Amino acid sequence: MIKKILLILLSTTLFSTTLFSKEKIEVKQENIFVKKCVPCHEYLPSSLERMFMSYLKVYSGEKTFKESLKSFLRDPDEVSSTMSELFLDRFGVKSKTELSDKELEEAVNLYWEMYNIRNKLK
Amino acid sequence: MSVSKNRDTSLHLSNEKQALRRFLSLYIFLVVALLSLLSTFYYQSQEELMFSNQRTVLSTYANEQVKQLKILHHYFPSKTNYPRSDKFKSAIYDIERVYIFSTLENEKVNFDKEIYRVGTKIHFVKLLDDYYLGAHYLFSEIDEDKNWERKTILNIIAFGTVALIILGIFGLFFVNLFLRPMKNSIALLDNFIKDTTHELNTPISAILANIEMMDKSVMNEKNIKKLSRINVAAKTVSHLYQDLTYLVLGHQRTVRDEWIDLEALVTARVEYFYLLAEAKSIKFIIDLEPRKVWIDEAKIARVIDNLISNAIKYNKRGGEIRLILKEEHLMISDTGIGIEKEKISAMFDRYSRFNSSEGGFGIGLNIVKSILDEYKLKVEVNSVIKMGTTIKIYLPMGANLDF
Repeated sequence: MIKKILLILLSTTLFSTTLFSKEKIEVKQENIFVKKCVPCHEYLPSSLERMFMSYLKVYSGEKTFKESLKSFLRDPDEVSSTMSELFLDRFGVKSKTELSDKELEEAVNLYWEMYNIRNKLK
Repeated sequence: MSVSKNRDTSLHLSNEKQALRRFLSLYIFLVVALLSLLSTFYYQSQEELMFSNQRTVLSTYANEQVKQLKILHHYFPSKTNYPRSDKFKSAIYDIERVYIFSTLENEKVNFDKEIYRVGTKIHFVKLLDDYYLGAHYLFSEIDEDKNWERKTILNIIAFGTVALIILGIFGLFFVNLFLRPMKNSIALLDNFIKDTTHELNTPISAILANIEMMDKSVMNEKNIKKLSRINVAAKTVSHLYQDLTYLVLGHQRTVRDEWIDLEALVTARVEYFYLLAEAKSIKFIIDLEPRKVWIDEAKIARVIDNLISNAIKYNKRGGEIRLILKEEHLMISDTGIGIEKEKISAMFDRYSRFNSSEGGFGIGLNIVKSILDEYKLKVEVNSVIKMGTTIKIYLPMGANLDF
């Protein structure tokens, strides 16, 4: 009996998880951030969220954050990167963005909105 | 003489009191300003002392909070609870001074001061080098202990009052010291005027009396003219003597109000000034109605004398003086140089003169105004340049009793 209940619960969980991830992918496919940024970062050990926190620790304000990130993405180099030396030795500096200014602006805004800490602090 | 001395004393006293009051007002104002300045400095130094004591405590709290923020930054978003303490409240703002999070009770933050008072709280601002959670400004807040302020204000009141009293006493001492030479000078000048005036009386009276007594029938035309000039000159000095006497003694005279026949008085004064007018070929045109007023004869005589004297002095050669006495007014008009409209209001001021080419001290019309004011008599002046001046004195109504 217990086995049966556990089986039902497991099946339900698996089904809902699959459904949710499908929904998420559908939403993701709509924005440029997910389309152009997430795929490359998925293979890196440091998540986009941790990178956001590293950037925030260096640039603090929203405008400063966004402007310096855009500047870095247009012309990346080791000096302006916020990542550790170890990370840079292992993975190197990213290549220049192929996004247009408008797309870059949109992607950075989405990045800020997604990981902005302001409304998450309690 | 004793009357004159009393008057001088009271005049000096009033002048001295006025000078004393002005000096003391200025002195007290300066002392209060100085004490306020010192109090402000003292208050600020006490506030600074309190801040320096609190700065150490608040700096420790801020360092503790930075450590907590660092931990939270590292574990975010697994941990999202902002670090709180019972000892202090805090808030974080980013480099663009945009709010991130706050537990402050008083949200009025000042980014430009390191430590400051706001309401009943003290805020301390720490600038972070590493922007944990994006924070560049960390505000720490504690309750302000108001004891220092109460103590400081009490000290200011106590020491300020004592200093004010001591400096006030010094002020009184100095003002008396500084005013002494001025008082001596005034007393000297006053005594000089008084003595000179007194000494003028006898010779002038003697000259005038002897002129009257001289037998003109035995004199030739030339000598009569010379005598007439002497008479005019003596009367001019006599008039000046009368004004000076009034100024020095007038106010202390016992008031001798009585019914005065104004018609007779004006006639007598015209006769007195007849020779002076004649010297400038000025004609008197007189239209007098019987009129009696309740007044001091010496005072109303000063009014009439001064008005006639001015009408002669500022009249043109061969001009006219019109004297009209009616039930409601006494009017004296001349055909002289006139006064500009703007100067009419100042003509009754002491030492004010119509024309510097004419002699005089400018005290005549001031005496007139002071007497008219004393009896509450209204005066009206109309003047046209190069045409003449008319002065109308309104007499009190209902005073013309038949007696």
